[in-house]
Amino acid sequence: MAKIGVFICHCGENISAKVDCKKLAATIAEHPGVAVSVDYKYFCADPGQESIKKAIRENHLTGVVVAACSPRMHEATFRKACAEAGLNPYMCEIANIREHCSWVHTDQDMATEKAADITRSMVEKVKRNNKLQPIEVPVTRRALVIGGGVAGIQAALDIANAGQEVVLVEREPSLGGHMAQLSETFPTLDCSQCILTPRMVEAAQHPKIRLLTYAEVVSVDGYIGNFHVKVKMKARYVDMESCTGCGDCITKCPQKKISSEFDCGIGKRAAIYTPFAQSVPNKPVIDKATCTYFKNGKCKICMRSCQINAINFDMQDEFIELEIGAIVVATGFQVQNNAVYGEYGYGKYPDVITGLQFERLASASGPTFGKILRPSDGKEPKNIVFIQCAGSRDPSKGVRYCSKICCMYTAKHAMLYSHKVHDGKSHIFYMDIRAAGKGYDEFTRRTIEEDGVSYLRGRVSKVWPKMSKLMVRGVDTLLGKPVVIAADMVVLATAMVPQPDAKEFAKTIGIAYDEYGFFNEAHLKLRPVESSTAGIFLAGTCQSPKDIPDSVSQASASASKVLALFSKQTLEREPVVASNNEATCAGCWGCVLACPYNAIEKKDILDRSGKLIKRVASVNPGLCQGCGTCVTFCRSNSLDLAGFTEKQIFAEVMGL
Amino acid sequence: MTIQETYKARVKKLLASGTVKMVIGYKPGTTADRRRPHFIRTPEEADQLVLDSACITNLSGYLLSEGLLSDEKAVAIFLKPDGIRSINILAAEAQLNSEQILILGFDSNDNQVTALEGEKVEEFTTLIESIKEQAPEALKNPLLEQIEGMTPKERFAFWQGEFSRCIKCYACRQACPMCYCRRCIVDCNQPQWVNTSSHTLGNFEWNIVRAFHLSGRCVGCGNCDRACPVNIPLRLINAKMAQEVLGAFDHFSGMSHTQEPVLASFKKDDSETFIL
Amino acid sequence: MNEIFEPKIVAFVCTYCTYAGADLAGTSRLKYAPNVRIVRLPCTGRISPMFILKALQKGADGVLISGCHPGDCHFTHGNYHARRRWMVFRALLEFTGIPSERVKYSWISAAEGGKFADLMNSITEDIRKLGPFDQYNALIKETEAPATF
Ligand SMILES: Cc1cc2nc3c(=O)[nH]c(=O)nc-3n(C[C@H](O)[C@H](O)[C@H](O)COP(=O)(O)OP(=O)(O)OC[C@H]3O[C@@H](n4cnc5c(N)ncnc54)[C@H](O)[C@@H]3O)c2cc1C
Ligand code: SF4
Ligand code: SF4
Ligand code: SF4
Ligand code: SF4
Repeated sequence: MAKIGVFICHCGENISAKVDCKKLAATIAEHPGVAVSVDYKYFCADPGQESIKKAIRENHLTGVVVAACSPRMHEATFRKACAEAGLNPYMCEIANIREHCSWVHTDQDMATEKAADITRSMVEKVKRNNKLQPIEVPVTRRALVIGGGVAGIQAALDIANAGQEVVLVEREPSLGGHMAQLSETFPTLDCSQCILTPRMVEAAQHPKIRLLTYAEVVSVDGYIGNFHVKVKMKARYVDMESCTGCGDCITKCPQKKISSEFDCGIGKRAAIYTPFAQSVPNKPVIDKATCTYFKNGKCKICMRSCQINAINFDMQDEFIELEIGAIVVATGFQVQNNAVYGEYGYGKYPDVITGLQFERLASASGPTFGKILRPSDGKEPKNIVFIQCAGSRDPSKGVRYCSKICCMYTAKHAMLYSHKVHDGKSHIFYMDIRAAGKGYDEFTRRTIEEDGVSYLRGRVSKVWPKMSKLMVRGVDTLLGKPVVIAADMVVLATAMVPQPDAKEFAKTIGIAYDEYGFFNEAHLKLRPVESSTAGIFLAGTCQSPKDIPDSVSQASASASKVLALFSKQTLEREPVVASNNEATCAGCWGCVLACPYNAIEKKDILDRSGKLIKRVASVNPGLCQGCGTCVTFCRSNSLDLAGFTEKQIFAEVMGL
Repeated sequence: MTIQETYKARVKKLLASGTVKMVIGYKPGTTADRRRPHFIRTPEEADQLVLDSACITNLSGYLLSEGLLSDEKAVAIFLKPDGIRSINILAAEAQLNSEQILILGFDSNDNQVTALEGEKVEEFTTLIESIKEQAPEALKNPLLEQIEGMTPKERFAFWQGEFSRCIKCYACRQACPMCYCRRCIVDCNQPQWVNTSSHTLGNFEWNIVRAFHLSGRCVGCGNCDRACPVNIPLRLINAKMAQEVLGAFDHFSGMSHTQEPVLASFKKDDSETFIL
Repeated sequence: MNEIFEPKIVAFVCTYCTYAGADLAGTSRLKYAPNVRIVRLPCTGRISPMFILKALQKGADGVLISGCHPGDCHFTHGNYHARRRWMVFRALLEFTGIPSERVKYSWISAAEGGKFADLMNSITEDIRKLGPFDQYNALIKETEAPATF
């Protein structure tokens, strides 16, 4: 038998001025199942709460309705009071008769009548409430960071420095990501490698960080606090334990003319290689696709050259399984393939290069040792044209969005060029200059005012070769006339795009992505570092185009989210989660598809002999966020949502 | 050879060779113009097979009979294009594995039965695409347009008249291949979403729920309509909803066995002109 | 019959946006018609078409469904799913003669207290003009009488 206590608050005069609380209490007292119906000046104050507790104890109440202010104000307060009196806190509901009634209505009779309806419907609901227990989820205190660019390194170090274990997975042979390729970085022009390499070394040597390079995450199961992750360690053919990184093998390898990915094709590497001189770990891998032995079955020169026998051609891919509590995804970006712009001649004319290639030319440790030289004839260009938005903000061939960093790095390139080639001249074609950031506008101004770079507002329509020059035709929209420039080199400010496998990867680990393949945050404004899946966080350019400071900030923010999660052994969650009636589920998987959080799994129901009887939907309470979208979809009415069950809502409506 | 004889021979071959364990087809019914489902397990049983323009029932629902497909052995079934589409839906909703189904396709126009090329459901994709093309025209119906032309009051009165006759026998549900739920929402009494009394209110609710659950899933086979003992024109509501999802979401039911259910998916730019 | 008709309206709203918007109307002390009763749900994704039918059965002359604007859903996609269902259900109700003037849909954010108050007034006024939902009420009445068989 329901014994509901109803507590009607005057809220000083906030409620009682428009709602006749005495009359309301008397009306509700008549309602079936109501054992206590009283009014009082301030139920949220201590004496008020005490009187509720007393009434619960004395009358053995089975449920409580507090008719007062919005549940968004004091639901937690009153639920706590109930719990203190021994009543399950989820047996308490709030009837909002202040914000939704006394404050907004003028007619006392009508307001009182409305308050009675609101309260009655809450009484009907609470009669059907269930005693819920907060969901406790154990937490494995070990983080996985995927991607070893600057964002991943930062996240890993922050977590490890706070004393928690980290596994850092990078798919290339070395840590570093794109930042390792950069020459100097805007807006301070500090050398990229000088600031990054010490962090790479720190990450590799950190006692709390387990570094797995040349490795890829192949599957993620489980849920927040309890992920099971499988990682593939690609065969390096070099034993990581014994290799000393002397590099003898590299010098002996007969394949020396392989285009270097790290140098964006401007430099060359061997088939056994480290991506760059400061690689971490500084131990080579054999590139199976270009190795003579793997192609022809003969060679193994490297193996013979190795003094300590670290090379093993029989090595196989290995798989490691990890128990993980939280994941930071920091898989970074790629630059768009500029070949889509036929009119710029990228890929056709060797001296049309991308911004990233320019970084390699300008880098002191790059293929030209920091000299700006043309790829075609190795001569120093005296006139460079930079084309901004070569891909960005171009819905027709490129991408719709702004890549955010190209205005800045183009200014940087022009500046670096003017520092290196004093008699050089550079022109920048641009649409707008977007230099929002600390010290950024000052930086671009300096490029224009101190380094004399000429900015031309307009698009380039064609680039074509003439003698040893590249002719660039564009318009200067500010002067309203066409311009033709004879350049020695053309640099395209290529768009930042998601990794080519971003969508596949997102599906593997179970997070959402946008139309381009950038990973979606849980909420653009309020939860910008959480992914849509609980326990998986985002850092850096995998979420959207960013510069280094933004990537690092987001990485630190993700790390703090992980640390907050790891601050307790178990995780407590509101028990407002869905559950399924397996007997009636038809296994149509509509709910599986509809759930925004991938919280619903397909479960096999087996008979005693292990034979499959049927497959049904099963909600993982660790992942469910309690939106109820699945419940509404389910045609067989098999799903229900705790706290807002079908029975409760039905009763609430019928109580109105 | 008539198409019936050609198909009869094919059925015998399929069974004799063990390619399929059963063929679901038609046999003569209680009156001359009625056909009954025929579950053929041996070549001999195929002698009774009938294939003519009276074969109108969509047989696909029989595939879901308890245990029929659980041994993963192939079953062949006679289907018209609407039935083929329902195989796609049932596969998309994980009720069957379309690999297991061998389709004996046919169509009938002006009392003329013709064979359809193909065996696996994917092979009918072009056919279904062309049906989708024609759907805006095909779904048109004079009575439907007449109802649309009514005032809301008249419409309500029209359906009130129709639904008041419903006896909640659920023959419509029984007949529909898409109504495969083990427990229908009307049978749910905790809470009682649909009024079970014989009053028109509950009938209204039942028919609205039924139509909602079939929106974007109904293939217009007409099984429900024909099953209804009191001749409620259920097909009209279904056709109206098919028009709606086609117009609003370009969704035509049963296009493929991987089609996403229209009400479990969305596009960010779905129309919302009606939202204040 | 000179008494003005006070319609009964039931609103199903999500807690993160429209419910909070209604709270804001309250804290801003905006005044509006007292005819609407709110049922709070976590998300528009939880609002089942069955709720609308039950509100009508309970004698509502009008129903309002409201939640977060597209893109603002606390649960990221609940309102996109809801929007599709509404589109379909609305067409169905319209076709069966339950006029779309009686079942309305809106997006009201937590910041739109003013929009909430205005909508309460306009919806009340609109439904007052339509009058009681006599046709549905007749069906309800029938269930109250003993069944004929
Ligand atoms: C031409 C150019 C110039 C720039 N100049 C500047 C500048 O001057 N100043 C500035 O602030 N910013 C600059 N930037 C931006 C800067 O490069 C980025 O902000 C930064 O590198 C982003 O770091 P990240 O860690 O997010 O991504 P990345 O550097 O792309 O790192 C991602 C890492 O994840 C790894 N990875 C990817 N997928 C997987 C997987 N599935 N499993 C495991 N590992 C994976 C990759 O191999 C890579 O190592 C420039 C960018 C460009 C293109
Ligand atoms: S929607 Fe309902 S019937 Fe379908 S799988 Fe989910 S729980 Fe089962
Ligand atoms: S309530 Fe929402 S989050 Fe939970 S399982 Fe259902 S759809 Fe997913
Ligand atoms: S609702 Fe009727 S017409 Fe539609 S698929 Fe079901 S039985 Fe066929
Ligand atoms: S078949 Fe006709 S009478 Fe029977 S439940 Fe369906 S609509 Fe009602």
